[in-house]
Amino acid sequence: MDLLFSLVINGLMLGSLYAMVSVGLTLIFGITKVINFAHGEFMMIGMMLTYIITTYLGIHPYLTLVFVVPLLFLLGIVVQKYLIEPLKDSDEHIQIFATVGLSIAMINLVLMLAGSNNFNTPSSGLRETLGLGAATVLTGQVVIMLCSIFMVGGLHLFLTKTQMGRAIRATAQNRNAAQLMGINVSRINMVTFGIGIACVGIAAVLLSPLYPVNAQTGQSFVLIAFVIVVMGGLGSIAGAFYAALIIGLVDAFAGFYLGSSLKDVAVFGIFLLVLIFRPSGLFGNARKLAHVS
Amino acid sequence: MKYNHKLRRTAISSVIATVVLGSISTSAMAEVKFGALYPLSGGLALLGEESYRGLELAVDQINENGGVQGETVVLETGDAVDNNQAIGEARRLISQEDVKAIFGTYSSSRSIAASQVAEMSKVPYFELGAVADDVTERGLSYVFRTNPTAYHMAETIIDMLVNSIASELEVDPAELRIGIIHEDSNYGSSVAKHQRTFAEQEGLNIVMEEHYPASIVDMSSIILSLKNEEVDVVLQTSYQDDSVLFLRQANERDYQPKAIIGGGGGYSMTPTAEAVGHDVIDGVFDVDFTQYNVNPDFAPGIEDFQAAYEEKYEEAPRSGHSLINYAGALELLRAIDAGNGFSADEIKKAVLAMDVPDGETAAGMGIKIGENNQNERASMMGMQWQDGELVTVYPEEASVADIRTHQ
Repeated sequence: MDLLFSLVINGLMLGSLYAMVSVGLTLIFGITKVINFAHGEFMMIGMMLTYIITTYLGIHPYLTLVFVVPLLFLLGIVVQKYLIEPLKDSDEHIQIFATVGLSIAMINLVLMLAGSNNFNTPSSGLRETLGLGAATVLTGQVVIMLCSIFMVGGLHLFLTKTQMGRAIRATAQNRNAAQLMGINVSRINMVTFGIGIACVGIAAVLLSPLYPVNAQTGQSFVLIAFVIVVMGGLGSIAGAFYAALIIGLVDAFAGFYLGSSLKDVAVFGIFLLVLIFRPSGLFGNARKLAHVS
Repeated sequence: MKYNHKLRRTAISSVIATVVLGSISTSAMAEVKFGALYPLSGGLALLGEESYRGLELAVDQINENGGVQGETVVLETGDAVDNNQAIGEARRLISQEDVKAIFGTYSSSRSIAASQVAEMSKVPYFELGAVADDVTERGLSYVFRTNPTAYHMAETIIDMLVNSIASELEVDPAELRIGIIHEDSNYGSSVAKHQRTFAEQEGLNIVMEEHYPASIVDMSSIILSLKNEEVDVVLQTSYQDDSVLFLRQANERDYQPKAIIGGGGGYSMTPTAEAVGHDVIDGVFDVDFTQYNVNPDFAPGIEDFQAAYEEKYEEAPRSGHSLINYAGALELLRAIDAGNGFSADEIKKAVLAMDVPDGETAAGMGIKIGENNQNERASMMGMQWQDGELVTVYPEEASVADIRTHQ
């Protein structure tokens, strides 16, 4: 019983971490229709910034949110405006290549500036363990869990209750009709991309005290994030959240019962089953998928 | 016509200049060119450069003492950023720079790719730092390796466990429950394979074996399995990220085996200890190339090496990679010096004649090229993190401190 409980807790903690990373990706995916292969690298940049600001200003890592999130929001806007937007009329593959290129460029830029060293953001008490019955969790993990719930809730409120949110959803549903209703679609795309990147910025700040960062860090998270986004239903934020928790639990259980060498088989096996039997994702619906394609 | 005239004049003067300059440099002292092929940029640059520094220092020392066969050694570098570039640079060094031999390479995959090119061109290739078995197990006749490999790493880990750690723990080695975890690339897998073989020879009890991708972000289920299997001794072969992750999560989940023995780069580096915390890593064992806290009587010249390093690069060595490259290169250059000419077969003859006993190089290990052109006297050192420092504890003659156990 204790063992099961530990596995569930581990799985949920890992799942909420994945959720944080995936939410921004699904937002960008669902609304601007851009598959952002550089998502992990934005996170890596966010973690690097967190490290730099924390060590130079000597402040608590969470306080760097004030700097990192706006900076990444701006970076997102710049990328959308100068890289993605000019390609909007070209083939979808070109956009994919553009984000892949951006990802490679970002990794190599960091390699050039910082080398392949690992940087450790001070953990500032966030690696303290909390006993939850038989399971142990870190304070930082609990914060990530809570924040992922707030983030998903907040984004949901933003998209349903605000004028900007409604405009964003209108753009997602039908680009041309939205434009006819007087919505500035390219501005919406810019803001959405910015918000998506800002979300991964929040994830970066919360992750930094727990994980060392190097130029390749983004790569370790991004593949699983893509699985989650597709499983949750493209563009569905709540879907991504639940899918992340499921993947987290599968990861923890398969890691224990099948061994860590086989756990990816379980994760991707489930992913394949979802693709075969519910191609629109666990929480997406066919209508949504039609808009994405 | 005027244009042609001018062109011809420039051409003539440049030819004269080349001849004059050329004769000046040759009259001072003849030069012999060797290639130095390392990843000097890109993801492996840090330890690639560290390895190259070792070779550079060996060449400096040889040149100060009159060069090889009376000729000054000049190193021509090639940057092996990836496997394709390693091949391209090896071709350039051989065909354009006309190097007599190539030294390298730190990365096993680059070494395997580039040495193939050298073999085909019949240029000797000296591997000073890559550990994969395949570097010397392909039956090539001009590829030589001086450094210890995955095989030696596993051998030292099991030997240290049986001969030293178990007796310190006051248990029969066969009673220990051993868990092997390793990253799943060629490196981790080949060390684990040899660990299994040596452990079986010693009659040890391996109760669990797991591998994982080096990019793993959560090892809590591995730790749960280790706890569940009541593993006493964990053998981990890993890079840096996964070493940090394992040690952190094991500590946070209050998993305290009797011993953790790490293999390779991740466990030897000070940044790893700093990331994990010196109090957490204290007592952890590590088997790797010779590092700097070693008995200088067993590694003569190590202090001079450190002094020369600090003078040239204005910092302390960042890892043992420079030392192992230095020790190998120095003996190889001495051997070539004792030879007769720089043809591939002469160099091979000279290198095969090397006979350096244990305890006479700066890295401690002896050098004698044996089967498959691998140094049969290569060995690694057993170390332990004690009070913030990585000190050598095994073998006895190289140790500077006693093994400590948490009892």
